[in-house]
Amino acid sequence: MSPRTRAALLRCARNPRVMAGLLLALAVIVVALGAPWIAPHDPQEQDLLNTLLPPMWSAGGDPAFPLGTDTLGRCILSRLIYGARVALYVAFVAATGAMLLGTVLALISGYFGGWVDWIIGRLVDIWMAFPPVILALILLVGMGAGVNKVILAIVLIGWTRFCRVIRSEVIVVRRRDYVAAARLAGFTHVQTIVKEVLPAVLPLVITLFSLEMGIAVIVEAIMSFVGLSVEPDVAAWGVMIADARTTMNQAPWGVVMPVAAIFATVLAFNLLGDGLRRALDPRLVTSRESL
Amino acid sequence: MATLEARGLTVTAGRGENVPKVLRELSFTVERGQVLGLVGESGAGKSMIGRVIGRSLPTGFRVASGSLLFEGQDLVGLPADRLTGLLGDRIAFIPQEPLTALNPVLTIGAQFGEHLERIGVPRGERRARAAAALKDVRLRDPDALLDLYPFQLSGGMCQRVLIAMAFASEPALIVADEPTTALDVSTQATVVQIIRRMQRDHGTALLFITHDLRLASRVCDDLLVLYAGDVVERGPAADVSAAPRHPYTRALQAANPPLAGTDRRLVTLPDQMPGISRFTALHGCRFAPRCPVADPTCATAVPPLEPVGTRHVVRCVGECLAKAAEATVAAPALVRGDARGETVLTVEGVSKHYPGKRDWLGRRGPGADAVKGADVTVAAGEFVGVVGESGSGKSTLAKLVMGLEEPTSGRIAIDGKPVIANDPASREIRLGALQMVFQDPQSALNPRRPVERLVTQSLEAPHHATTEAERLARARSLMLETGLSPDLLDRYPSQLSGGQKQRVNIARALCVTPRLLVADEIVSGLDVSVQAQILNLLLDLRAARGIGLLFISHDLAVVRYLCDRVMVMKNGDVVEAGPTEEVFSNPRHPYTRALMAAVPPEDPTVPWPPEVVES
Repeated sequence: MSPRTRAALLRCARNPRVMAGLLLALAVIVVALGAPWIAPHDPQEQDLLNTLLPPMWSAGGDPAFPLGTDTLGRCILSRLIYGARVALYVAFVAATGAMLLGTVLALISGYFGGWVDWIIGRLVDIWMAFPPVILALILLVGMGAGVNKVILAIVLIGWTRFCRVIRSEVIVVRRRDYVAAARLAGFTHVQTIVKEVLPAVLPLVITLFSLEMGIAVIVEAIMSFVGLSVEPDVAAWGVMIADARTTMNQAPWGVVMPVAAIFATVLAFNLLGDGLRRALDPRLVTSRESL
Repeated sequence: MATLEARGLTVTAGRGENVPKVLRELSFTVERGQVLGLVGESGAGKSMIGRVIGRSLPTGFRVASGSLLFEGQDLVGLPADRLTGLLGDRIAFIPQEPLTALNPVLTIGAQFGEHLERIGVPRGERRARAAAALKDVRLRDPDALLDLYPFQLSGGMCQRVLIAMAFASEPALIVADEPTTALDVSTQATVVQIIRRMQRDHGTALLFITHDLRLASRVCDDLLVLYAGDVVERGPAADVSAAPRHPYTRALQAANPPLAGTDRRLVTLPDQMPGISRFTALHGCRFAPRCPVADPTCATAVPPLEPVGTRHVVRCVGECLAKAAEATVAAPALVRGDARGETVLTVEGVSKHYPGKRDWLGRRGPGADAVKGADVTVAAGEFVGVVGESGSGKSTLAKLVMGLEEPTSGRIAIDGKPVIANDPASREIRLGALQMVFQDPQSALNPRRPVERLVTQSLEAPHHATTEAERLARARSLMLETGLSPDLLDRYPSQLSGGQKQRVNIARALCVTPRLLVADEIVSGLDVSVQAQILNLLLDLRAARGIGLLFISHDLAVVRYLCDRVMVMKNGDVVEAGPTEEVFSNPRHPYTRALMAAVPPEDPTVPWPPEVVES
């Protein structure tokens, strides 16, 4: 491991934002992966005798349903736990897709410059000028609802962010003499990009990836709220909010709980992303350590 | 009362018992109207004194003992508000980087005005005062200048503006930290001349911090040579430069290639100056591990400053002083390889024109000619120098030769085969014959690669089917050839010193056994003693491998030392070319003569700097 990498990891480990975000995100991931063992009930199991139960600590609560039940008597905790799976699946796959598409185009655009850069740059401009919500709705109406369609929509909206930010960093790295030196050492363009340019922009890619996961969680929640995402029989946070909103006055916890889950997850990814940016951004790092 | 007096000033880094002393027991005085030169290589602690005055020491550094008296009051213990009152008014600074020292979004007039406001000049008088001050530093048309922004001026003009600002408050003391390092040779001469004249006219005391012993000895009344935080020699400039007594001062002088006289191989010291973290392990003289005449007692106790002449003191023990003279006189004569091989590179009438920007009607602006019809040939085993100031087109020439830029017209051939910029066939021809050593090793070495993978980077390219073991063996032999310890193979560039980085840079270029190296300003960022090591390395490589070199530099003395033939460029034109000795002993073009006159001469009787040229 190079001292640079080690120093970067050390800075991450010392950064409270990174550690808080990482712990929170890990907790959500563990819960999502272990859902069948952690959840007290099946998320679809209805108990029509115990509908709209409050959480166990308030009056009338039942310890069998720790966070209470919804209108159909389904366990809110279990539905939250299973909902995390949907949220993280969408977050991970969509962010990966946006990252791959955006980074590859950014590398090509920033490395080759000239007319290639111009075309990709204008494409991003046009793409970003189009309202993202409309774009997503058109896609989902056109192709039909479904989680994978939501992922596609997020990828098609999110790649521009990666492309813009990473391209400017690639241009900075491209001007370093070591990139010219690699070409003079006989490296092909692909080799130069992969071995010399990509490692230098990787910290930025990781940071953006983390932030994109947070965005994807919110978009998925919105889409499942309006019923364009998961199948009706799948527990998702957006679906839970949609189901509970009719009884919000009698049973506010049915809305509060999934909102809290979304809040915590997005906060985790944003803290992580912001902390990584602070720990890995060469400009912020050098200004503090140069003296 | 002395304007500035240091009494046993000691600066330490870090906290605890055994902290390294970055400056150790520093004492000097600067009287009114006097110039004291602080000379040392990077890491010597010469900039620390300016930082103590400005109270801007790096975090963790502090003045542990001693005092720094400015007109009798101790700057170290002075309350912050009283110090702030002195700075910029009674004490002024001339910075190293003129372009970054001025705010790019304010006009010269606005910045000058701010400074004058600070020193209490009433609003109505400011513009006239600023214009008069600019006229004083021989800037033409000062009124128009006040409405310009810093980026519209050259580096030399910015530095003159800063000098005018520094003198505006009639300070008692001016601290100039490497004021000419970022400037061209001819600009350096002008700027030095202006500082010197202003200082004399105003009777200001001047602290002149520099790495250039030759320059310092021409500018200063007194010299103080620093090595790793210790004063090794202090005395009148004429005495120190004519008869340096400390082995380190001698080595500094011997490492500087001369611009005239007989060619001797530069005497280099082994290794480099110890870093701060190693200070605590050096109990005696910090120079002892590198000293050519050290005896065992040097390393155990710090030698005292011994007087050797009028006001001339040296930190060295008696016997060494006697031996130091012998060690440097015995420099061997320079052996030039005159066995010229076949011509590798032929450049005929090559030009590069950068087209101007299109305006909104699509018409092109005038553009710029970076290189206008240059002719060069370099044979194997031949060293050819290209000299010129910044903007002369010498770096563009290197890029054209390497195929990093496409020439507008003309022909480049390698081994007689014509090459163009970027087609696969030309690339193949270049890869077999040419390699480039880049100017800035910081930027030229990928910080994420260890040394082993840097020097053998070429083997990762297609058509090189090498095993890891072969690669390691190749790396080892390259390290040996460029004088690097094999221990460094696992290090990363951030863990190397400047000289080591430049060696790695050269080793990488040698990996595929090129017959011609193109080197763009490869020693300009290095200390004199490290520069000498690299120059000698290039000479040794020629003897061992018979490689040719296209050496691009702004430093005439370095080119004279290294090259067989030289060409002088100005604004894209080759104004003079020929065998080095001929060009340097009998320069024909006025520009060549002007360049040579701008270099401080060895002979102390020759007046320097030359008269200021109006700009």
